[in-house]
Amino acid sequence: MIMITGGAFQGKRDFVKKQFALSDSDIADGGNCELSELTNARCICNYELAVKRMLADYIDPLGFTAGLNCEIVIMNEIGGGIIPIEKSEREWREMTGRAGCILADRAEKVYRVCCGIATMIKGEQA
Amino acid sequence: MTTLITGGAKCGKSRLAEKLLDNCGGRKLYIATMQPYGEEALAAIERHRKIRAGKGFETIEKYTGLHEIRLPEKCHILLECMANLCANEMFRNEDICDPTERIMPGIRHLQKYAETLIIVTNNVGSDGVTYSPETNGYIEAMGRLNTLTAGISDNVIECVYGVPVILKGRSCY
Repeated sequence: MIMITGGAFQGKRDFVKKQFALSDSDIADGGNCELSELTNARCICNYELAVKRMLADYIDPLGFTAGLNCEIVIMNEIGGGIIPIEKSEREWREMTGRAGCILADRAEKVYRVCCGIATMIKGEQA
Repeated sequence: MTTLITGGAKCGKSRLAEKLLDNCGGRKLYIATMQPYGEEALAAIERHRKIRAGKGFETIEKYTGLHEIRLPEKCHILLECMANLCANEMFRNEDICDPTERIMPGIRHLQKYAETLIIVTNNVGSDGVTYSPETNGYIEAMGRLNTLTAGISDNVIECVYGVPVILKGRSCY
């Protein structure tokens, strides 16, 4: 598995499409596709939003994340702020952090994209 | 040697910090700065205690005034975390004060005694949200504290979903 992270709107998806020769139809959107489609999708984007939907549906995001079979998972970094006042937002932030740690641990390669520039932070250069 | 570990919430900072002290001989002190108020704080404290259990840490709870802690020579210290400490110092009195004036001497005090000092902090300035003046002041103070602490640290590591990214110093994990 390969994980791509970074802040919002930094060019993560464009990087993935170019680097791994994918088109939009290969990418399942964690924000709106069926959660059941995610497990075996080739590539997922907005995985942090899928975590939010799992919490709303009482699905354990950590177990779900451990069972993913995707080639590529794109996930925003969302933890770099003030603790949210809303309890559900706090829970989402916490579960996203932990799910992200599971993905990064499973991934052979982790890239972080900032201003369109991808830096490999885990793994060996090909 | 001082190492500063930064990163967002729940990104594996504590786990990394504890790992850095795994092979240290001598006394290991854990300075806990989170005040045990509220259900979620208690749950977080409990979770961290469980992770730490059996690793040989002595826990010192100190919410403000790091410089007052009496320390043995050549100990290994894990300070967790700066975000709580900063809020505790800043909002200690009715008048909001500059937390760097108390925290930086506190850190230098720890450095004087510690063979290894690991400081866990938090990146709180990357959500792009504008808050009340008090909260914005806190974000600014955290930025300054992190910058000042990085300046007197040998290593600075940013944790990204558990992946350590070296910002300063040599690879030390």
